[in-house]
Amino acid sequence: MQAQSQENRIEWEGALVQRAVAGDTRAFERLYREHSGRVYGLCLRMTRDAQLAEDCTQDTFINAWKALKQFETRSSLSTWLHRIAVNVSLGKRRKATPVLEAQPEDEDGTLGGWTFETPVEVRELEGAIGDLPDGARDALVLHALYGYSHGEAAQMLGIAEGTCKAQLHRARKLLRERLNLEVN
Amino acid sequence: MTGPKEHKVKSLAELPQALEPARDLWPGIEAALKTQVPAAGTGLSPARVRLGQLRWFAAAAMVASVAVGVWIGRDLVPLSGPAPSVAQATAPRVTPAQGANAVDAAFVSDPRYARQRAELLQSLQTRLDAMPEPARAKVTASLATIETAKKDLESALGKDPSNALLQELLINTYQDEMRALTDVHEASDPGRGI
Repeated sequence: MQAQSQENRIEWEGALVQRAVAGDTRAFERLYREHSGRVYGLCLRMTRDAQLAEDCTQDTFINAWKALKQFETRSSLSTWLHRIAVNVSLGKRRKATPVLEAQPEDEDGTLGGWTFETPVEVRELEGAIGDLPDGARDALVLHALYGYSHGEAAQMLGIAEGTCKAQLHRARKLLRERLNLEVN
Repeated sequence: MTGPKEHKVKSLAELPQALEPARDLWPGIEAALKTQVPAAGTGLSPARVRLGQLRWFAAAAMVASVAVGVWIGRDLVPLSGPAPSVAQATAPRVTPAQGANAVDAAFVSDPRYARQRAELLQSLQTRLDAMPEPARAKVTASLATIETAKKDLESALGKDPSNALLQELLINTYQDEMRALTDVHEASDPGRGI
Protein backbone atom coordinates (compact mmCIF):
# COMPACT_ATOMS: atom_id res chain seq x y z
CA MET A 1 0.00 0.00 0.00
CA GLN A 2 2.88 2.34 0.90
CA ALA A 3 4.65 1.67 -2.40
CA GLN A 4 1.41 2.08 -4.35
CA SER A 5 0.68 5.30 -2.55
CA GLN A 6 4.16 6.57 -3.37
CA GLU A 7 3.71 5.55 -6.99
CA ASN A 8 0.37 7.37 -7.14
CA ARG A 9 1.98 10.42 -5.63
CA ILE A 10 4.76 10.45 -8.21
CA GLU A 11 2.23 10.06 -11.02
CA TRP A 12 0.06 12.74 -9.51
CA GLU A 13 2.95 15.13 -9.18
CA GLY A 14 4.11 14.24 -12.67
CA ALA A 15 0.69 15.18 -14.03
CA LEU A 16 0.79 18.48 -12.15
CA VAL A 17 4.30 19.19 -13.41
CA GLN A 18 3.22 18.56 -16.99
CA ARG A 19 0.32 20.93 -16.58
CA ALA A 20 2.59 23.53 -15.02
CA VAL A 21 5.11 23.14 -17.85
CA ALA A 22 2.22 23.87 -20.22
CA GLY A 23 1.70 27.15 -18.36
CA ASP A 24 -0.97 26.16 -15.82
CA THR A 25 -0.25 28.22 -12.71
CA ARG A 26 -3.07 26.51 -10.78
CA ALA A 27 -1.24 23.21 -11.13
CA PHE A 28 1.96 24.89 -9.99
CA GLU A 29 0.13 26.35 -7.00
CA ARG A 30 -0.90 22.80 -6.01
CA LEU A 31 2.77 21.81 -6.10
CA TYR A 32 3.64 24.88 -4.06
CA ARG A 33 1.02 24.03 -1.42
CA GLU A 34 2.34 20.49 -1.24
CA HIS A 35 6.01 21.37 -0.85
CA SER A 36 6.22 24.90 0.54
CA GLY A 37 6.35 23.83 4.20
CA ARG A 38 9.40 21.64 3.79
CA VAL A 39 11.11 24.15 1.51
CA TYR A 40 10.46 26.98 3.96
CA GLY A 41 11.63 24.80 6.86
CA LEU A 42 14.88 24.11 5.04
CA CYS A 43 15.40 27.76 4.09
CA LEU A 44 14.63 28.96 7.62
CA ARG A 45 17.09 26.55 9.16
CA MET A 46 19.77 27.53 6.67
CA THR A 47 19.29 31.28 6.91
CA ARG A 48 18.08 31.64 10.53
CA ASP A 49 16.06 34.61 9.39
CA ALA A 50 12.31 34.36 8.81
CA GLN A 51 12.17 37.22 6.29
CA LEU A 52 15.15 35.88 4.36
CA ALA A 53 13.66 32.38 4.45
CA GLU A 54 10.42 33.70 2.97
CA ASP A 55 12.38 35.38 0.17
CA CYS A 56 14.34 32.17 -0.41
CA THR A 57 11.14 30.13 -0.54
CA GLN A 58 9.60 32.48 -3.08
CA ASP A 59 12.76 32.49 -5.19
CA THR A 60 12.93 28.70 -4.98
CA PHE A 61 9.50 28.31 -6.52
CA ILE A 62 10.05 31.06 -9.08
CA ASN A 63 13.32 29.40 -10.17
CA ALA A 64 11.58 26.04 -10.20
CA TRP A 65 8.87 27.42 -12.49
CA LYS A 66 11.50 28.71 -14.91
CA ALA A 67 13.38 25.40 -14.93
CA LEU A 68 10.41 23.06 -14.67
CA LYS A 69 10.75 21.62 -18.17
CA GLN A 70 14.15 20.26 -17.15
CA PHE A 71 12.68 18.28 -14.29
CA GLU A 72 12.42 14.52 -14.81
CA THR A 73 8.96 13.54 -13.63
CA ARG A 74 10.08 10.10 -12.46
CA SER A 75 12.52 11.56 -9.96
CA SER A 76 11.70 13.21 -6.66
CA LEU A 77 10.28 16.69 -6.99
CA SER A 78 10.94 17.23 -3.32
CA THR A 79 14.68 16.59 -3.71
CA TRP A 80 14.80 18.76 -6.82
CA LEU A 81 13.13 21.65 -4.99
CA HIS A 82 15.44 21.21 -2.02
CA ARG A 83 18.48 21.48 -4.30
CA ILE A 84 17.14 24.76 -5.62
CA ALA A 85 16.32 25.94 -2.09
CA VAL A 86 19.84 25.15 -0.89
CA ASN A 87 21.36 27.06 -3.82
CA VAL A 88 19.10 30.04 -3.25
CA SER A 89 19.74 30.06 0.50
CA LEU A 90 23.50 29.76 0.08
CA GLY A 91 23.46 32.55 -2.51
CA LYS A 92 21.50 34.93 -0.33
CA ARG A 93 23.56 34.10 2.71
CA ARG A 94 26.87 34.59 0.89
CA LYS A 95 25.78 38.13 0.10
CA ALA A 96 25.54 38.80 3.81
CA THR A 97 28.45 36.87 5.32
CA PRO A 98 31.32 34.85 3.89
CA VAL A 99 31.25 31.16 4.74
CA LEU A 100 34.44 29.57 5.99
CA GLU A 101 34.65 25.99 4.85
CA ALA A 102 35.88 23.48 7.42
CA GLN A 103 38.79 21.29 6.49
CA PRO A 104 38.17 17.54 6.42
CA GLU A 105 39.03 15.84 9.69
CA ASP A 106 39.35 12.25 10.67
CA GLU A 107 35.80 11.06 10.54
CA ASP A 108 34.43 7.59 10.08
CA GLY A 109 31.11 8.84 8.82
CA THR A 110 29.15 6.74 11.29
CA LEU A 111 27.16 9.50 12.83
CA GLY A 112 24.27 7.22 13.56
CA GLY A 113 20.71 8.43 13.92
CA TRP A 114 21.49 11.60 15.87
CA THR A 115 19.62 10.40 18.90
CA PHE A 116 19.91 11.73 22.44
CA GLU A 117 20.20 9.81 25.67
CA THR A 118 17.78 12.26 27.27
CA PRO A 119 14.84 13.88 25.42
CA VAL A 120 15.43 17.51 24.48
CA GLU A 121 12.95 20.35 24.22
CA VAL A 122 12.25 21.13 20.57
CA ARG A 123 12.69 24.85 21.18
CA GLU A 124 16.05 24.28 22.86
CA LEU A 125 17.18 21.96 20.10
CA GLU A 126 16.12 24.34 17.32
CA GLY A 127 17.96 27.10 19.16
CA ALA A 128 21.12 25.03 19.44
CA ILE A 129 20.96 24.14 15.75
CA GLY A 130 20.44 27.79 14.88
CA ASP A 131 23.54 28.73 16.85
CA LEU A 132 25.78 26.36 14.92
CA PRO A 133 28.22 27.86 12.40
CA ASP A 134 26.76 27.99 8.89
CA GLY A 135 28.71 25.12 7.37
CA ALA A 136 28.07 22.74 10.25
CA ARG A 137 24.42 23.70 10.41
CA ASP A 138 23.90 23.21 6.66
CA ALA A 139 25.34 19.71 6.76
CA LEU A 140 23.40 18.83 9.88
CA VAL A 141 20.07 20.09 8.56
CA LEU A 142 20.37 18.28 5.23
CA HIS A 143 21.72 15.03 6.65
CA ALA A 144 20.12 14.64 10.06
CA LEU A 145 16.83 16.48 9.58
CA TYR A 146 16.02 15.96 5.91
CA GLY A 147 17.63 12.55 5.59
CA TYR A 148 20.02 13.15 2.70
CA SER A 149 23.12 10.99 2.49
CA HIS A 150 26.57 12.48 3.00
CA GLY A 151 27.08 12.43 -0.77
CA GLU A 152 23.75 14.08 -1.55
CA ALA A 153 24.21 16.74 1.12
CA ALA A 154 27.75 17.43 -0.08
CA GLN A 155 26.57 17.74 -3.67
CA MET A 156 23.79 20.13 -2.71
CA LEU A 157 26.19 22.28 -0.73
CA GLY A 158 28.91 22.17 -3.37
CA ILE A 159 31.52 20.75 -1.02
CA ALA A 160 33.52 17.53 -0.88
CA GLU A 161 31.94 14.58 0.87
CA GLY A 162 34.81 14.48 3.37
CA THR A 163 34.20 18.11 4.19
CA CYS A 164 30.54 17.39 4.73
CA LYS A 165 31.41 14.59 7.14
CA ALA A 166 33.80 16.88 8.97
CA GLN A 167 31.09 19.50 9.27
CA LEU A 168 28.74 16.90 10.69
CA HIS A 169 31.39 15.83 13.17
CA ARG A 170 31.81 19.43 14.19
CA ALA A 171 28.06 19.95 14.42
CA ARG A 172 27.70 16.95 16.70
CA LYS A 173 30.50 18.13 18.94
CA LEU A 174 29.04 21.63 19.22
CA LEU A 175 25.50 20.34 19.78
CA ARG A 176 26.77 18.08 22.52
CA GLU A 177 28.46 21.02 24.20
CA ARG A 178 25.53 23.39 23.82
CA LEU A 179 22.90 20.94 24.94
CA ASN A 180 25.20 19.53 27.56
CA LEU A 181 24.34 15.97 26.70
CA GLU A 182 25.45 12.99 24.67
CA VAL A 183 24.57 12.81 20.99
CA ASN A 184 24.80 9.23 19.81
CA MET B 1 10.46 29.68 13.87
CA THR B 2 6.98 28.30 14.05
CA GLY B 3 5.87 24.76 14.76
CA PRO B 4 5.34 22.43 17.67
CA LYS B 5 8.05 23.29 20.19
CA GLU B 6 6.40 22.45 23.46
CA HIS B 7 7.35 18.77 23.38
CA LYS B 8 10.60 16.89 23.70
CA VAL B 9 12.33 14.75 21.13
CA LYS B 10 14.94 12.03 21.34
CA SER B 11 16.25 12.41 17.82
CA LEU B 12 16.92 15.14 15.31
CA ALA B 13 14.83 13.18 12.85
CA GLU B 14 11.80 13.85 15.05
CA LEU B 15 11.96 17.57 14.38
CA PRO B 16 9.32 18.68 11.87
CA GLN B 17 10.73 19.11 8.38
CA ALA B 18 7.91 21.38 7.32
CA LEU B 19 7.46 24.78 8.94
CA GLU B 20 4.81 27.30 7.99
CA PRO B 21 5.79 30.85 7.05
CA ALA B 22 3.97 33.65 8.82
CA ARG B 23 2.20 34.66 5.61
CA ASP B 24 1.01 33.04 2.42
CA LEU B 25 3.86 33.37 -0.06
CA TRP B 26 1.89 32.21 -3.10
CA PRO B 27 0.50 35.65 -4.15
CA GLY B 28 4.05 36.99 -4.49
CA ILE B 29 5.16 33.92 -6.42
CA GLU B 30 2.12 34.07 -8.69
CA ALA B 31 2.75 37.74 -9.45
CA ALA B 32 6.35 36.93 -10.37
CA LEU B 33 5.30 34.02 -12.59
CA LYS B 34 3.06 36.30 -14.63
CA THR B 35 6.08 38.35 -15.64
CA GLN B 36 8.02 35.26 -16.69
CA VAL B 37 8.09 33.66 -20.09
CA PRO B 38 5.89 30.54 -19.87
CA ALA B 39 7.87 27.53 -18.75
CA ALA B 40 6.80 25.51 -21.77
CA GLY B 41 9.08 25.44 -24.77
CA THR B 42 8.16 22.20 -26.44
CA GLY B 43 8.12 23.33 -30.06
CA LEU B 44 4.78 21.56 -30.57
CA SER B 45 1.81 23.15 -32.24
CA PRO B 46 -0.72 24.75 -29.89
CA ALA B 47 -3.29 22.09 -30.76
CA ARG B 48 -0.91 19.26 -29.86
CA VAL B 49 0.15 20.98 -26.69
CA ARG B 50 -3.52 21.44 -25.79
CA LEU B 51 -4.33 17.80 -26.52
CA GLY B 52 -1.36 16.67 -24.46
CA GLN B 53 -2.55 18.91 -21.66
CA LEU B 54 -6.04 17.40 -21.83
CA ARG B 55 -4.58 13.90 -21.70
CA TRP B 56 -2.81 14.93 -18.52
CA PHE B 57 -6.02 16.35 -17.12
CA ALA B 58 -7.71 13.03 -17.71
CA ALA B 59 -4.74 11.16 -16.27
CA ALA B 60 -4.80 13.44 -13.24
CA ALA B 61 -8.50 12.70 -12.80
CA MET B 62 -7.77 8.98 -12.99
CA VAL B 63 -4.97 9.27 -10.43
CA ALA B 64 -7.21 11.40 -8.23
CA SER B 65 -9.93 8.78 -8.43
CA VAL B 66 -7.52 5.99 -7.53
CA ALA B 67 -6.09 8.13 -4.77
CA VAL B 68 -9.53 8.58 -3.22
CA GLY B 69 -9.87 4.82 -3.10
CA VAL B 70 -6.39 4.38 -1.69
CA TRP B 71 -6.85 7.03 1.00
CA ILE B 72 -10.23 5.71 1.99
CA GLY B 73 -9.00 2.13 1.93
CA ARG B 74 -5.99 3.01 4.04
CA ASP B 75 -7.49 5.49 6.45
CA LEU B 76 -11.14 4.69 6.80
CA VAL B 77 -12.01 1.13 5.81
CA PRO B 78 -9.41 -1.19 7.26
CA LEU B 79 -11.31 -4.40 6.63
CA SER B 80 -13.24 -3.83 3.45
CA GLY B 81 -13.56 -6.71 1.06
CA PRO B 82 -14.55 -6.49 -2.57
CA ALA B 83 -17.95 -4.86 -2.59
CA PRO B 84 -20.32 -4.29 -5.47
CA SER B 85 -19.43 -0.94 -6.95
CA VAL B 86 -22.12 1.57 -7.78
CA ALA B 87 -19.72 3.04 -10.30
CA GLN B 88 -19.33 -0.26 -12.11
CA ALA B 89 -23.04 -0.82 -12.05
CA THR B 90 -24.11 2.52 -13.40
CA ALA B 91 -21.20 4.20 -15.18
CA PRO B 92 -21.77 3.72 -18.88
CA ARG B 93 -19.27 1.89 -21.03
CA VAL B 94 -19.03 3.66 -24.32
CA THR B 95 -16.30 3.52 -26.92
CA PRO B 96 -15.38 6.28 -29.31
CA ALA B 97 -16.59 4.13 -32.15
CA GLN B 98 -20.14 4.78 -31.06
CA GLY B 99 -20.02 8.13 -32.74
CA ALA B 100 -20.00 11.83 -32.13
CA ASN B 101 -23.10 11.79 -29.95
CA ALA B 102 -21.76 9.12 -27.65
CA VAL B 103 -21.24 11.53 -24.81
CA ASP B 104 -24.80 12.85 -24.94
CA ALA B 105 -26.19 9.38 -25.28
CA ALA B 106 -24.15 8.04 -22.43
CA PHE B 107 -24.38 10.75 -19.85
CA VAL B 108 -27.13 13.20 -20.51
CA SER B 109 -29.92 10.82 -21.38
CA ASP B 110 -29.05 7.86 -19.17
CA PRO B 111 -31.54 8.39 -16.34
CA ARG B 112 -30.02 5.72 -14.11
CA TYR B 113 -26.59 7.32 -14.26
CA ALA B 114 -27.97 10.81 -13.76
CA ARG B 115 -30.10 9.71 -10.81
CA GLN B 116 -27.25 7.83 -9.15
CA ARG B 117 -24.86 10.73 -9.56
CA ALA B 118 -27.37 13.23 -8.21
CA GLU B 119 -27.93 11.06 -5.13
CA LEU B 120 -24.22 10.69 -4.50
CA LEU B 121 -23.63 14.42 -4.90
CA GLN B 122 -26.54 15.18 -2.58
CA SER B 123 -25.04 13.14 0.23
CA LEU B 124 -21.42 14.08 -0.54
CA GLN B 125 -21.09 16.94 1.94
CA THR B 126 -22.53 14.88 4.76
CA ARG B 127 -20.12 12.06 3.96
CA LEU B 128 -17.17 14.44 3.80
CA ASP B 129 -18.13 16.02 7.13
CA ALA B 130 -17.97 12.58 8.71
CA MET B 131 -14.37 12.04 7.58
CA PRO B 132 -11.22 12.90 9.54
CA GLU B 133 -9.76 16.24 8.43
CA PRO B 134 -6.70 14.91 6.52
CA ALA B 135 -8.76 12.41 4.55
CA ARG B 136 -11.45 15.01 3.83
CA ALA B 137 -8.86 17.47 2.51
CA LYS B 138 -7.32 14.88 0.22
CA VAL B 139 -10.65 13.63 -1.08
CA THR B 140 -11.88 17.18 -1.66
CA ALA B 141 -8.71 18.04 -3.58
CA SER B 142 -9.07 14.90 -5.70
CA LEU B 143 -12.70 15.62 -6.51
CA ALA B 144 -11.73 19.18 -7.47
CA THR B 145 -9.10 17.80 -9.86
CA ILE B 146 -11.66 15.52 -11.46
CA GLU B 147 -14.08 18.44 -11.80
CA THR B 148 -11.40 20.55 -13.47
CA ALA B 149 -10.58 17.73 -15.88
CA LYS B 150 -14.28 17.34 -16.75
CA LYS B 151 -14.76 21.03 -17.41
CA ASP B 152 -11.69 21.27 -19.60
CA LEU B 153 -12.59 18.21 -21.59
CA GLU B 154 -16.20 19.38 -22.02
CA SER B 155 -14.95 22.75 -23.16
CA ALA B 156 -12.57 21.14 -25.66
CA LEU B 157 -15.33 18.87 -26.91
CA GLY B 158 -17.57 21.89 -27.38
CA LYS B 159 -15.05 23.15 -29.93
CA ASP B 160 -14.37 19.77 -31.49
CA PRO B 161 -17.45 17.60 -30.82
CA SER B 162 -16.47 14.75 -33.11
CA ASN B 163 -13.04 14.20 -31.58
CA ALA B 164 -13.12 10.53 -30.56
CA LEU B 165 -10.12 10.80 -28.26
CA LEU B 166 -11.65 13.67 -26.31
CA GLN B 167 -14.89 11.70 -26.02
CA GLU B 168 -13.03 8.74 -24.61
CA LEU B 169 -11.10 10.88 -22.15
CA LEU B 170 -14.31 12.55 -20.99
CA ILE B 171 -16.09 9.23 -20.55
CA ASN B 172 -13.16 7.92 -18.54
CA THR B 173 -13.23 11.03 -16.41
CA TYR B 174 -16.97 10.63 -15.74
CA GLN B 175 -16.29 7.06 -14.69
CA ASP B 176 -13.44 8.24 -12.45
CA GLU B 177 -15.77 10.73 -10.84
CA MET B 178 -18.43 8.11 -10.23
CA ARG B 179 -15.82 5.75 -8.80
CA ALA B 180 -14.53 8.42 -6.41
CA LEU B 181 -18.05 9.42 -5.33
CA THR B 182 -18.89 5.78 -4.76
CA ASP B 183 -15.76 5.26 -2.68
CA VAL B 184 -16.69 8.22 -0.50
CA HIS B 185 -20.27 6.98 -0.20
CA GLU B 186 -19.28 3.43 0.70
CA ALA B 187 -16.51 4.48 3.09
CA SER B 188 -18.97 6.38 5.27
CA ASP B 189 -21.64 3.68 5.09
CA PRO B 190 -22.47 2.67 8.68
CA GLY B 191 -21.73 -0.96 7.93
CA ARG B 192 -18.33 -0.39 6.39
CA GLY B 193 -16.08 1.83 8.40
CA ILE B 194 -16.13 5.28 9.91
